[in-house]
Amino acid sequence: MNWERVWTAANWERLMVGDLFNTGQAGGLLVTLAIGFGAMVAGTVIGGVFGVMRSSERRWLWMPAMLYIQAFRNVPLLILVFWAFFFPPVIGFELSQFSSVLLALTLFTGAYIAEIIRGGIRSVAHGHIEAGRALGMSRLQIYLWIVIPQAFFNMLPALAGRYVVSIKNTSLAFLIGLADLTEIGKQIGARLMTAPIEIYLTLFLIYFVVNRTISSATRLLEKRERFNKIFLHV
Amino acid sequence: MNLDFSILWGEPGRLILQGLVMTLKLSAWSLLFAFLIGLVVGTVRWLGFRLLEPLCWLYVEFSRNTPPVVQILFWYFSASYILPPWMFMQLRDFGYEFGAAILALSIYHGAFIAEVIRAGLNSIHKGQFEAARALGLGLLQSLRFVVLPQATRVIVPLLVNEATALIKNTSLAMAIGVIELTYQYKNIDNFMFRGVEALTAITIIYMILCLVTAGFGTLLNRHLSRHAGRRIERRPALTSE
Repeated sequence: MNWERVWTAANWERLMVGDLFNTGQAGGLLVTLAIGFGAMVAGTVIGGVFGVMRSSERRWLWMPAMLYIQAFRNVPLLILVFWAFFFPPVIGFELSQFSSVLLALTLFTGAYIAEIIRGGIRSVAHGHIEAGRALGMSRLQIYLWIVIPQAFFNMLPALAGRYVVSIKNTSLAFLIGLADLTEIGKQIGARLMTAPIEIYLTLFLIYFVVNRTISSATRLLEKRERFNKIFLHV
Repeated sequence: MNLDFSILWGEPGRLILQGLVMTLKLSAWSLLFAFLIGLVVGTVRWLGFRLLEPLCWLYVEFSRNTPPVVQILFWYFSASYILPPWMFMQLRDFGYEFGAAILALSIYHGAFIAEVIRAGLNSIHKGQFEAARALGLGLLQSLRFVVLPQATRVIVPLLVNEATALIKNTSLAMAIGVIELTYQYKNIDNFMFRGVEALTAITIIYMILCLVTAGFGTLLNRHLSRHAGRRIERRPALTSE
């Protein structure tokens, strides 16, 4: 074991921010987090739209949503990344490695989150919606004040799982040559040549800390009172 | 852009079929080992053995929170340091990529399947197990004849989700050079410049594989729950790909 050769200040700097301070090329954990969080936010927005569409009763609304969900859930993310990176040049424009990974991961995450949101909406008891209608609330009001707050709380564990997965999934960006955490780790490993165990254990450690932080943060919200205090101000 | 899908009947098609066979082999072996790991670890966690349980918890937490690609790379590159030299030499001649991919995928998905098994066992009242033990059945007997048969109906749908996730994750094995479907895309793109056609074909093949697996799961679930009063709700949680 030669940890002292792996855990040098220079290596840690490269793992965290890539060559940001040398060549201005960001990399490492910074890029991983940027893609991961970008895909989380954008995927949640897309998933929200398609999830609500999927739980509609109108055929022209749920049909396209179902097609989107099925198409993107049943294909490996790596294939989507390849489509996003290698297909645009064929039809005449180019996406950078960063944006093609972000695009693929967003669409992939969006399809899963749409299913989660549909499940959350279905979990709200129908009597609550009828009660809202009986009180004279409009469709939008019912969604905003009755369905979404309850559905969101029910969805939290599944959403947390999805967010962790999207951080994990950024790691296959290195297959198209983006300098994310895994790629930097591989580079350091290739340069040292004698310490693969140490370098990959370091990568495991970093990913583990990030992912555990995310899941613990959402676990804090799974207490009903705390959730209400933050999101509903009661 | 000129697309010519008829080329798929020639050499590229043959390569893709070879890749498909490799993907299926990889999925089948990994699924088998992942299921065995998951069964043991999940049961141990449910029973709560004092010494083994924390170890299993550590394994599940670690494996679920780290990316599968990094696990594949780890098992591939560190083999020559972990294994004794003669063993590594033999494995290398045999084609170690395939073994490393199976090892990493079974370890990664084993953790998720362990959680699935544990969720299934948790749905059974613990009194069932205690009653079986009190009636004189052994530990394995009461699991095999009393608890697990009842848990199957919860476990199977979740297990099928896991299986599709595993099939999709086999595409990551190309990172270490296993010649499966996704690798064949790179092959065809590099040597024949027919990337888009190959990628279309491969995407459709993956879709069919996943949909067939999911359909098989639906049938199996219907068969298993034919005596139950109502259909069991599929719970969305525990995702791995």
